[in-house]
Amino acid sequence: MGMTAQEVKARWAGTVFDRVEVEARGEDMLEFALACGETDPRYVDPAHPDFQAPVNFTTVYHGARMLPDDFPNFDLRRMIDAGKAVEWKRPLRPGERLGAQSSLYDIYEKTGRSGVMLFLVHRMEFRNPREELVAVVDWRLTIRGGLE
Amino acid sequence: MILDLHNHSVASDDARARVENYCQWIRRRELPLDGFVLTEHRQFDAASDYRRLEDEFGLRILKGSEVETDYGHVLVFGVNEAMQRAFDFGRIGLPLAGVLEFVKRCGGVAVPCHPGRPRVGLVAHVAARGPVEGVSIIETRNGGSRGSEDAESIAFAERCGYAAIGGSDAHIVSHIGRCATRFPRAIRDEADLVAALGEGGFEAIRWG
Repeated sequence: MGMTAQEVKARWAGTVFDRVEVEARGEDMLEFALACGETDPRYVDPAHPDFQAPVNFTTVYHGARMLPDDFPNFDLRRMIDAGKAVEWKRPLRPGERLGAQSSLYDIYEKTGRSGVMLFLVHRMEFRNPREELVAVVDWRLTIRGGLE
Repeated sequence: MILDLHNHSVASDDARARVENYCQWIRRRELPLDGFVLTEHRQFDAASDYRRLEDEFGLRILKGSEVETDYGHVLVFGVNEAMQRAFDFGRIGLPLAGVLEFVKRCGGVAVPCHPGRPRVGLVAHVAARGPVEGVSIIETRNGGSRGSEDAESIAFAERCGYAAIGGSDAHIVSHIGRCATRFPRAIRDEADLVAALGEGGFEAIRWG
């Protein structure tokens, strides 16, 4: 498609392309906590007065789109998950509704043993109905070989 | 003085080590290092100030950068304001000859690192596209090297008459101090490091 990483960054970095609403269910929080091996009663005992989601719980949510609709096409088989980083801001309680906004927070490229890789940082910001920031999840996606 | 010349902290996108934890690890494990250099990927971390950690742990903590060129990755020592103003640290595929010349003109030293890596290191690029003017030092001992990669680098340095440095290329705490460079004199700061690299007489070392 012939665009450089700088051109892709200039065009799409910072673009907000998706908004969804989710409800944090207590049973999902508990299941996630147990799957993570949590033992803290705040996460694994729904009767605990401070019961809340584990700090990385919001990683379970996905938006309706992974990338902006007009993002350049590329071979999805060259894309790999490079991990998620979570910034926890405040406790998430059962029944809370969250608005989640997705953006392309950053786009950069680097070279490694396998050659050029383009990194897309997909950021989801989760806010409660009072517009308070609950969590920020940065999901790094690597496209081996870049967009070519 | 022994300095580990190639390490990454959480300021790099692929590293998980905090600088304080590097210091703690060096002291707890009684590693024979007098200090280390942070060479963050595709950037220069101008904002961080490690003087408190230097005093607390009795270690020299210097800053450089690791940039990406058309002949592989390159460590840049002696980064100064002139370099920061004029140099795009974030770009990949920078022309190596230009980087070597520009860094030297600004008063620094550029050193190709892990040159023995297949396909992407300096040795492979030189074999495919010919030599580059201006190289005088390469990293022959790299803590992230696999198999015979360091042997390739050492042989290449000997063939070309290059001086050699060592660095751990640590991305996690326990990897610091795997490789380093022994200097015949003390080094106080980044400018002093550049001077010492210009004087020669240093050697790359690896433990274990």
